[in-house]
Amino acid sequence: MTDSEKILDSDINELLIQPPYLLEDQTKNQTLTDILKIQLKNAVQNNTHIKNLVSKQGTDIDAITKIEEIPFIPVQMFKYFDLSTCEKEAIVKMLRSSGTTSDTASRVPLNKKTVLNQMKSLKQILSDYLGNKRKVFLVIDHEGVNSSVSEFTARTAGVRGLSIYAKKTYYLLKEENGKLVLNEPVIQDVIERYSGKDVYAFGFTYIIWSVFYQQIIEKDIHFNFSDITLFHSGGWKKLKDEQVSKEYFSESMSSVFNTDKRNILDFYGMAEQTGIIFVDCECGNKHVPNISQVIIRNPYTLQPCSVGETGMIEILSVLSDSYYSQAVLTEDLGYVVGIDDCPCGRKGTYFRFASRIEKAEIRGCGDTFKE
Amino acid sequence: MVKCYLLDGEFSEQNQDNFADISQVVNTNRRALHALPLPVIIEILSALGKKIIQNPHLTKIQGITYLSLWLRKRNLEQICRINYGNLSYPDSFVDVENRFKMTAQPRGVVALWVAANIPTLAIISIVQTILSKNGSIVKVPEENKDILLQFLQELASVEVTYDNSHYSGLDIVKAISVVSFEGRNHTISSDFSLNADCRLVYGGSKAIQSILALPQKDHCETIVYGPKYSFGVFDREFIESDLFEKSLDKMAKDIAYFNQMACSSPQVLFFEKSSFQLQTIGEQLARCFENLPGDLRIQPTDAGILANIINIRAKYLLSDDKSVIASDDLSWTILIDNDFRLEDPVHGKCIFLKEVESLDTVPELITRKIQALSVSIFNPQKRESFAREATYLGVDRIVIPGTIHDYDLPWDGILPLSRLVRWVILKYQ
Repeated sequence: MTDSEKILDSDINELLIQPPYLLEDQTKNQTLTDILKIQLKNAVQNNTHIKNLVSKQGTDIDAITKIEEIPFIPVQMFKYFDLSTCEKEAIVKMLRSSGTTSDTASRVPLNKKTVLNQMKSLKQILSDYLGNKRKVFLVIDHEGVNSSVSEFTARTAGVRGLSIYAKKTYYLLKEENGKLVLNEPVIQDVIERYSGKDVYAFGFTYIIWSVFYQQIIEKDIHFNFSDITLFHSGGWKKLKDEQVSKEYFSESMSSVFNTDKRNILDFYGMAEQTGIIFVDCECGNKHVPNISQVIIRNPYTLQPCSVGETGMIEILSVLSDSYYSQAVLTEDLGYVVGIDDCPCGRKGTYFRFASRIEKAEIRGCGDTFKE
Repeated sequence: MVKCYLLDGEFSEQNQDNFADISQVVNTNRRALHALPLPVIIEILSALGKKIIQNPHLTKIQGITYLSLWLRKRNLEQICRINYGNLSYPDSFVDVENRFKMTAQPRGVVALWVAANIPTLAIISIVQTILSKNGSIVKVPEENKDILLQFLQELASVEVTYDNSHYSGLDIVKAISVVSFEGRNHTISSDFSLNADCRLVYGGSKAIQSILALPQKDHCETIVYGPKYSFGVFDREFIESDLFEKSLDKMAKDIAYFNQMACSSPQVLFFEKSSFQLQTIGEQLARCFENLPGDLRIQPTDAGILANIINIRAKYLLSDDKSVIASDDLSWTILIDNDFRLEDPVHGKCIFLKEVESLDTVPELITRKIQALSVSIFNPQKRESFAREATYLGVDRIVIPGTIHDYDLPWDGILPLSRLVRWVILKYQ
């Protein structure tokens, strides 16, 4: 390891050992920009695609002064290009993630350092919501979602990521004839052993709503987990179609678990940026941890939006040593609510997710040449 | 539920459960339209063409200036002559080859499904049902509804005097109804279809297939303007000629009109190898895009299309053998490579430039879905021979830069007025 690599590692580590929402935005931008520039140079050296991107755009890395000048890649590119920035032999795992809207899987190469950084980061973020003690982890999904042979999806990412805080894991659903149903013996066991105790849970929002909640109500099952923290993510488009708002979802789930609705926490994240989740605070805002930044870009001008203006969510991160995760433009829309002044006390940019970008539907005759 | 915005000459919104009443009113009123001589209808439409460019609500719509010119008396007469062969057919029996007399009778009530990509499409379609003296019920996309209603309001107020008789556009408007309903509602869509003597359908593949699957009257004629694709070619001699620079400028406008969403919008340009590098041609085209008038350069673009533009730009930037010339914002994008193929449309002024050794290979790419091919071949014989082969393979229109969107009939290989009427004979006694 070279001296500059050591310095880079130590800078990232420093960010990972601090409380996750300590840095004010301006300080963070400066700190991250310096690290991102070094990482970008490394990516240019080790990946011809990133080299192409930087040279074709005429980017002078040394001249970058603002974080928004770091070249981004659209998240879809993980499906088409090998974006690894380390030696092939160093890759310990290829994360293949198929999104909810496409058949082609993203390929995310991970080396040891990246995996370690991602774990540290998740632990840092979760500690802010769960404290420092390991807890019983309730997964509102079936066990197969975490199987090493099945495809890595957003659900898998969530279960694996959040399990780092688990001292014991229970899957509250099971698969029966290709359908998800309640795993009633496990649910009874959990109720008997852990009622009233401090547990945490995770599930895919739409599965929690359409499978777990409906069947729990139907079977009249009651939980008593007043201190539970339920993390949930994804599937909001389907819930919106069913006219289920985030507030209604939280209220419904808090009544199922007999807890305060502030313990029902939506988070935003993606497999291409594993290690970072943006969890709702008690004010309903998503906060950006130290090792990351969020820029909302106007979809037409690509310039950063002002506070309150809806645009495309770009996630910057210094976690990866093995692939270009430094600036990834998502196909999600969101808006910045404020900077450094959320009443919850967490510093930095805080934002809200608005929607996914709808796939373009060409409603006309200008269609295709294929017969 | 059917929302009806125009019925019996009344512009007011009302809800109907089905099409029975609407169809009956239109069917009754089309007799007055039928009684109007074709020259009078042309006079009225021509007067309308002059009026619409004075209506500030309509002038801001892309394509209205062209539409106004398209409604010129000479152009409408030419359209009728090309379609009918003789302007007298819609008004009377005409001797044919001393064998019998022939006339063109309207089919009856035409149901129109109009696509949303071109704001003036509904207007252009309705002019054809008027010139064929049919009654019309137009299912209009919500976003284009106001434009059509404004246009028809203008038509209702047109008054002309012809051969000392006085005529009103209102008689034409009374034979038209404008409606909207949920296209996915099979019951209402079927009812709409079953009330038609003729169906005029525009749309993408899915829309066309689902409309064609609807029940219809046994005698119903269906005219389909389905999904199509357009592109352009330039040969070496043309590229190296004085004509090239101006043509590229016109091509930029062809790409820009309707934000490249029309079936006639070029998506790929093939350039025969010449003394100019493809990159140089790209830079020249970039300057043309930069010089576009404001309303063509910056156009409202769906977020999904913007995401597609961002993705295709990134693909070309990350690849080894491709290049991109693009605006800082997403208003235009030039994608350069030498992959010999047509590309899926991205829209939003995203044009693919490709170099080929010889244009002779391009016909390999032509399918039956190619509508317009902009052919810039310097030698007229060579051009015509290329056109002959291209149209045999499926191309419907061979055009030159700057004219790709000109609404000449035939369109998509169809002479629509001729199909909108029944050709009937009268045997001599």
